[in-house]
Amino acid sequence: MTPTETQEQLSARISEALEAAFPDIALEMQPLPKQDISITLPPEKLEAVVAILIETFDFYHLSTITGVDNGETIEILYHFWNRYGVTLRVHLPYDAPHVPALTPTIPGAAFYEREIREMLGVVFEGLPEEGPLLLADDWEAGLPLRKISKQEKEAV
Amino acid sequence: MSKVTIPIGPQHPLLKEPVAFTLTADGEQIVDSALRMGYVHRGIERLAQDRSYTQITYLVERVCGICSHVHTTTYCQGVEALLGLDVPPRGLYLRALLCELERIHSHLLWLGVLAKNVGLDTLFMYAWRDREIVLDIMEELSGGRVSHAVNIVGGVRIDLDEAQHQMVVEQLNRLAGRVHKHLNIVLHERTIKARTQNIGYLSAEQMREYCVVGPVARASGIDMDLRRDLPRPPYTELDFDVITHTDGDVWARTVVRVEETLVSLKLCQDILAKLPDGPVAAKAKRRVPTGEVVSRFEAPRGEVVYYIRSNGTDKPERLKIRTPTLTALITLPIQLQGVALADVSVVLSGVDLCIACADR
Repeated sequence: MTPTETQEQLSARISEALEAAFPDIALEMQPLPKQDISITLPPEKLEAVVAILIETFDFYHLSTITGVDNGETIEILYHFWNRYGVTLRVHLPYDAPHVPALTPTIPGAAFYEREIREMLGVVFEGLPEEGPLLLADDWEAGLPLRKISKQEKEAV
Repeated sequence: MSKVTIPIGPQHPLLKEPVAFTLTADGEQIVDSALRMGYVHRGIERLAQDRSYTQITYLVERVCGICSHVHTTTYCQGVEALLGLDVPPRGLYLRALLCELERIHSHLLWLGVLAKNVGLDTLFMYAWRDREIVLDIMEELSGGRVSHAVNIVGGVRIDLDEAQHQMVVEQLNRLAGRVHKHLNIVLHERTIKARTQNIGYLSAEQMREYCVVGPVARASGIDMDLRRDLPRPPYTELDFDVITHTDGDVWARTVVRVEETLVSLKLCQDILAKLPDGPVAAKAKRRVPTGEVVSRFEAPRGEVVYYIRSNGTDKPERLKIRTPTLTALITLPIQLQGVALADVSVVLSGVDLCIACADR
């Protein structure tokens, strides 16, 4: 990427490349304030989109992965960086959140995916089964970053 | 000879913070290693969901005991982006001044730890003695040596008077002379070279695969520094070099950090020379409109990332913190592969671990 390119120009180029690769799927693109471009995509397309980002646009640097329980779905956000930020967003069903793991392609994703697995209960397909990363070995109090529902709160 | 398993940590004289390495040694050589962290996990991300934006400023300051100011800076600039708030130039300059002072303090502290671990106690004494200069400056400016509580959403809470301005300039000049001596030692002293060269090597390709950031990546030739790559005032108005090296071993990381200290010293002087007049903070609203932002900043150890999602109330929906140590920790099993048991301490200090940061 040329350093003189503006965020809008980059955004347009990415949009074009993704539309060419996935003509049948509407990928939703929007800017996060001042910083990143955010692309919402279905989980099964994740690996293909990441491959395009890395090979065509040199977005090799995965800054981190964020997991969010928004009350209706589990959102996973992949924050990439190459002079500009690109955030990929997938929505996973609340009851059985499954998503392909990025660790086989990007080894640096391992800690982020393991953390989301134990904090939000997301299953990363292809991520090796290992012990807990941050929580205690005998942790039994559930998934710490899942929202507590109103009924559960009242019960407490 | 049969293999021996050696536990290092969670409590060990080699480590300043609790983390556990299980090393498998065949004779003197490490053949396998495993890592267990989480011993200082405080659940800061979860705690932040029940606190107001003002309270979180003080909470995130406690993510790290060394680069506390960088965490509040990254957090505040994220919230300011969500609010659409412009910080007055003097506020931004003072914020950057503290960031650079903190980088100097962090790198000097690290140099001392490395020198101690390679058995060069003289340099350890020098580095920690000279670190006092920058700690004294920070205490004079903010009232705190490590936790400064300088940042507020909208700017900073401190200002600089004429006497303080002069004192800081003089002390920084004094420190610059000392750091030049440190660099001379690092570049030419035989003990330090014998213990650190060809130890803990990682190639640029491995750095890219593991998404490593900061001085560790720059020592392998990855030219990435968010002060330059994500330009924001005052860094857009200042001229500075990004230090890189190609050797990729612990020695290269040492050279990069000491040279970066000199760059930061020059940056501090430039910031003080160009310090604009005016207010230091803008008034921020208590409630933050719905939105989300990814905030990045170059900490002493590399890129810090904050993801903040707001929901229109005075508390965030989600706050995610990614600290640079996490990217370095994941490479340790590769770096430890094949090194002699006596060099484990050098490899561990080479990446500048901050376990409290990594665990959050």
